[in-house]
Amino acid sequence: MDIGFLAQYLMNGLMLGMIYALVAVGFTLFFGVLDVIKFSHGDVLTVGAFAGLATFLGLEAAGISHPAIQILIVVIVSIVLIAALGAVIARTIVLPIRSAPPLNTLLITLMLGTVLREAVRLFYPQGANPQPFPALLPTNSLTLGNFNLRLDNVIMLVAGVAVIVGTQLLLNRTKLGLAIRAVAQDEETARTMGVNFTLIVLITFALGSGLAAFAGLMNGLYYNEINFGMGLLLGAIGFSSAIVGGLGNIYGAILGGFLFAGLQTIGAVALPFASAYKDVFAFGVIIAIMAWRPTGLIQEKISERV
Amino acid sequence: MSKADTSGLQVSDVYTAYDKADVLEGVNLEAKPGKITCLLGSNGSGKSTLIRSILGLTPPNRGNITFEGIELRGLPTHKVIATGISCIPEGRQVFPKLTVEENLRIGAYQEDSAGEIQRRFDEVYETFPRLADRKAQLAGTMSGGEQAMVSIGRGLMRAPKLLLIDEPSLGLAPLLVKENFNIIRRINQQGITVFLVEQNVHQTLAISDYGYVLSKGRVVASGTPKQLSKTKEVHEAYFG
Repeated sequence: MDIGFLAQYLMNGLMLGMIYALVAVGFTLFFGVLDVIKFSHGDVLTVGAFAGLATFLGLEAAGISHPAIQILIVVIVSIVLIAALGAVIARTIVLPIRSAPPLNTLLITLMLGTVLREAVRLFYPQGANPQPFPALLPTNSLTLGNFNLRLDNVIMLVAGVAVIVGTQLLLNRTKLGLAIRAVAQDEETARTMGVNFTLIVLITFALGSGLAAFAGLMNGLYYNEINFGMGLLLGAIGFSSAIVGGLGNIYGAILGGFLFAGLQTIGAVALPFASAYKDVFAFGVIIAIMAWRPTGLIQEKISERV
Repeated sequence: MSKADTSGLQVSDVYTAYDKADVLEGVNLEAKPGKITCLLGSNGSGKSTLIRSILGLTPPNRGNITFEGIELRGLPTHKVIATGISCIPEGRQVFPKLTVEENLRIGAYQEDSAGEIQRRFDEVYETFPRLADRKAQLAGTMSGGEQAMVSIGRGLMRAPKLLLIDEPSLGLAPLLVKENFNIIRRINQQGITVFLVEQNVHQTLAISDYGYVLSKGRVVASGTPKQLSKTKEVHEAYFG
């Protein structure tokens, strides 16, 4: 096969892996601090992408058309709004039902996801139809044979790496991160050390949701199109990635995200006649891995998380 | 200093229940400032529940708990801690996947001054030189005795006015138990009020200034160590 094609697939795989990893890290953070699966995560991502699009249209209407200013405001508004949404969901839905069985949290957040998805479909103008997402980043490209390297993709990859590394540093090098890890390992002892448990949970949900908004924007910028159902598949993929990596382990989530994208890419390359089956292939392999290692690839050595 | 500021820990008529079953049924006791006060009792007498009630982890249904005149009942745990209380929990409860240094640092979570935190690190490392050698080790990979050092050090990183210690000798080798009690005495000599919950009668009474005996959720005896070692309630509480 042509090296240019392979490079193109690799680039595509890296972009998708980044998006999946960002979603998976959210799942793993929520599970870490509260032992819950928050199934509305994918639809929160959708809301983030639509919030970004609405912000863009608002900026256009206001006559602010400088692309650098546009992208900056779109990213900030979307992340801040969705971080707040994540904290509100934690405060009003997830924390109040903490003492219920975890399955209830899973079901209730599944329903919340449907509510968010339908809200986008019904209340966003023409929300039932796919919406074009503007190319807010410079689209200059460099063509090498069959490989077309686009500047916006490079910017997104670099930004994605920066966000993941930043999250990692936040968790491992700051006082806030220390509190999040302590709560994940032993909630009660963390409280006994003077950690404000509720506040840490809200911040963690804000952080994970902000990452989802970022992933949603990346998705929109990459495909130049978003739709109200985009979070369903991204949520399922992000969740699978977090599980296959080892739920509760942040490195596992990142690994899982890139693994899933890698499998999709392999599926697309290996099955050129049937690349529509790449998701089937990827999910199939994930199922096989889970059968082989039920607790994920990166197993927790000691019984706690993050 | 107002008069209330020197009133230590006061527990008055505290009732605490898990679900509907009362575990504490009207507990009254006091930990005087600067002293070591102990609470003795067998398994299931409600000792740990009292610690949980003080910390707000299992809030009491009735009664009052005050520290230096501040009502603790109804406060979330981090606000109880903010009044100057620190706890060395039962079973040590180190964070297994945090390093020794991170475990200690989270003990000083409510302290913002980097200089003050460093001063406390120096103090703890001076008390437990072995921890200084193992700063970067994950606490979960340490022996029980070493974890006890981490747990005590973590409690001291708070620089508390009142230190609650829940069963420090549980699961430790006799030699380490003795060492632990010596450390508790030294902590107290630095001016820290100690409220010690224990099953180990003799060594506990040997270092305490005053003691209470808890049985089935009630205080059944109290007095100086000398008085307590003679009372039949102490013997009944353990052997009856």
